[in-house]
Amino acid sequence: MLSRVAESLYWMARYLERAENTARFINSTTQVLLDLPRGASFGWDVLLKTAGLDSRYSQHHHGPPDEAEIMRFLILDERNPSSIVASIHNARENTRTFREVLPMEIWERINSLYLYTRDNASRATQGRSQRYEVLKGVIERRQSVIGLLMGSMSKDLAYQFIRLGHNLERADMTTRILDVNSAVRLPESAAAAELARERLWIGTLNALSAYQMYRQHVGVRVVGSEVVRFLLTDPHFPRTVRHCLGEIENCLCDLIHYDRPLNVARHAWKRLGSIDHLVMDGLHENLDQLQADLAALHDAISRQYFSLYHLSGIQEQSHPS
Amino acid sequence: MSLFTQDYASAGFFDELITPDGQPRPVARVLFDHLEALGAAGLDERRRAVDAAIMTTGVTFTVYSEAGNIDRAWPFDIIPRVMSCREWSRIEAGLKQRLTALNLFINDLYNEQRIIKDGVFPQEVLAGSRNFRVQCQGMTPRFGVWAHVCGTDLVRDQDGTLYVLEDNLRVPSGVSYMLENRQIMKRLFPEFFQSSSILPVDDYPARLHDTLATLSPRTGSRPVVVLLTPGIYNSAYFEHSYLAQKMGAFLVEGSDLVVEADDCVYMKTISGLRRVDVIYRRIDDDFLDPEVFRPDSALGVKGLMRSWRAGKVGIANAPGAGVADDKVVYAFVPQVIRYYLDEDPIIPNVPSYLCMRDDERAYVLANLDKLVVKPANESGGYGMLIGPRSTPEERTQFAGLIQANPRNYMAQPTLALSTAPAWVDGHLAPRHLDLRPFVLQSDRLYCTTGGLTRVAMKAGSLVVNSSQGGGAKDTWIVDLGHEEE
Repeated sequence: MLSRVAESLYWMARYLERAENTARFINSTTQVLLDLPRGASFGWDVLLKTAGLDSRYSQHHHGPPDEAEIMRFLILDERNPSSIVASIHNARENTRTFREVLPMEIWERINSLYLYTRDNASRATQGRSQRYEVLKGVIERRQSVIGLLMGSMSKDLAYQFIRLGHNLERADMTTRILDVNSAVRLPESAAAAELARERLWIGTLNALSAYQMYRQHVGVRVVGSEVVRFLLTDPHFPRTVRHCLGEIENCLCDLIHYDRPLNVARHAWKRLGSIDHLVMDGLHENLDQLQADLAALHDAISRQYFSLYHLSGIQEQSHPS
Repeated sequence: MSLFTQDYASAGFFDELITPDGQPRPVARVLFDHLEALGAAGLDERRRAVDAAIMTTGVTFTVYSEAGNIDRAWPFDIIPRVMSCREWSRIEAGLKQRLTALNLFINDLYNEQRIIKDGVFPQEVLAGSRNFRVQCQGMTPRFGVWAHVCGTDLVRDQDGTLYVLEDNLRVPSGVSYMLENRQIMKRLFPEFFQSSSILPVDDYPARLHDTLATLSPRTGSRPVVVLLTPGIYNSAYFEHSYLAQKMGAFLVEGSDLVVEADDCVYMKTISGLRRVDVIYRRIDDDFLDPEVFRPDSALGVKGLMRSWRAGKVGIANAPGAGVADDKVVYAFVPQVIRYYLDEDPIIPNVPSYLCMRDDERAYVLANLDKLVVKPANESGGYGMLIGPRSTPEERTQFAGLIQANPRNYMAQPTLALSTAPAWVDGHLAPRHLDLRPFVLQSDRLYCTTGGLTRVAMKAGSLVVNSSQGGGAKDTWIVDLGHEEE
């Protein structure tokens, strides 16, 4: 497989996952906000910080963070390469360059996701109720792409690169969504604070569609440390960091010359084991470390498969095509 | 007798399907039985179904031709063009004869130039050829074949004679539309295909792959064949992607390839460099190798010519093959056929006047209002003068151009292109058309069964180019068995 094609497949998957996660994140945060007790406060700029977009945002915006402005930036601003519209646009552009390796219908679905997003995104910035509905539409259409990929594509090399991109992005977004609560100021009274905390963690679970599975597999009571443990280390729920890392390992083992990226993945794996979920104070730093590990994993994948040919002295290798 | 043919009039033109007295020609009888059975309402319904089918698959067409969000519809006419097997076998023989001779000619030009020494082809025409590449001199590609893929444009005049209008030897396109046209027709008119013997067209991608594979420098292993495209913004990108997919070839851009110190071409894969054996290139010579041709080309591959000359990679069509794709050289093709094959041309050329010859130039200058004047090296219908539709100012301008550079111009009588019925607003209406069959040559020859029929969709228009409002229709070669006309 051509490096250029592999890289495009990987980025297509990352962009689509990023768009969906951003949509989920915005919707669940909006919901949490409605449920917060009096005395708790929440700044919309938390969304920017957790997505790692705060400095990019302040390049273009001044003054106090404003919900409408931030929503515009996260949903449709082309100056933000991670905005939902920009991500889906990028995914579609990438798809155009390797149409010949994908089933035809997938292109059609991605195209229709793009058209829907392009035509409705500005509506999503005109108030909360429209926003919820439009973002739900984005999530549904993206899910239909995933369904088609699983049901109509051979589990070949192309599929492995899609799966790599999608799980790496997903793991990264899970660490970011977990981190959002650390930025919320809680009410003074202990009872109100506890109630607020519970609401926030329910919001986190909802953002990842994990609330129901948490209740089934962990318990009815939503406790911060348990949520963190679940979302980082549960082996079965598909959005946990551990599950994503497992998927990444499986993908790598289906590829060739995976030693280097696999070592980096194992490093992240070890870090995951070392995080003490009961110590909530250090959570933010631990999540930062985990994000750095994922970035290193991306670099290793990129060096191994997308720019291997830059290395000198590489002999032609037999190719299991 | 016929609901469809009685009011149909294509005055002054040869009609492919209907005789001057309104009867279907023998080749079209079965087709017209079907059309009658469907009726106007039935045809309208199929027309809508075709439009819907083109919309869904149309994504693939518009997307790749989309530049700055311009979506281009794909004009398709549902009434096929029909030819008999008997006529087609003569055309096929003529096309193979022509390409065989052209390849001998190109190889001679880059080597001994016997045809010039023997006084059959003038040195001055070669000297003025923009597509003659000195970098290719002394090369003999495998089998002596330079043009492996040729798209030949055929037209029919009012007396029914079929002529070659031009030979496209550089990067001819359109074959994917021929294949798609048939797919659509089979999906929407399955009954047509059940009851008549319409010859299939779909073996082209396999034959193309076979042809390319014979150019591999390595024996034994399955050759690595790639299709080199300029990228997604090229208007033919759909076709590049389509053919790569159907052939099981890699679709690559220039930046995916690299020529190493061993002069071999490699592509950059996830497991490192992988040797490439054959390149089906869909970019022009000028952009092929910045080391040899245009240094500013970002589409090509540095060192590609070095690799080709060293015999480390096969390239189709070979660099420099375009020397025979020149409208002045065209006028010599009948002599070229006689010279190399000692045969008379099976399909004639359109009579042509060469402005480099004094007497012919004088005739052209005196008859600019009746002739079509063409520059030697343009394609896609650009830079032409269509005499009967020109203004006096345009004619004065062209007279000046011709006198300044006679080698660069030739002229032909304005042809009354044949017509065939198209389904337009609920009835049959005559529309002008041409035909582009595709011929392949390596150690073997292959010709598509029929080809791409291009139609001028505007009433009275003679321009079939897709960039200028042309459309397409399916082309049927039918086996009439004993009841041939």
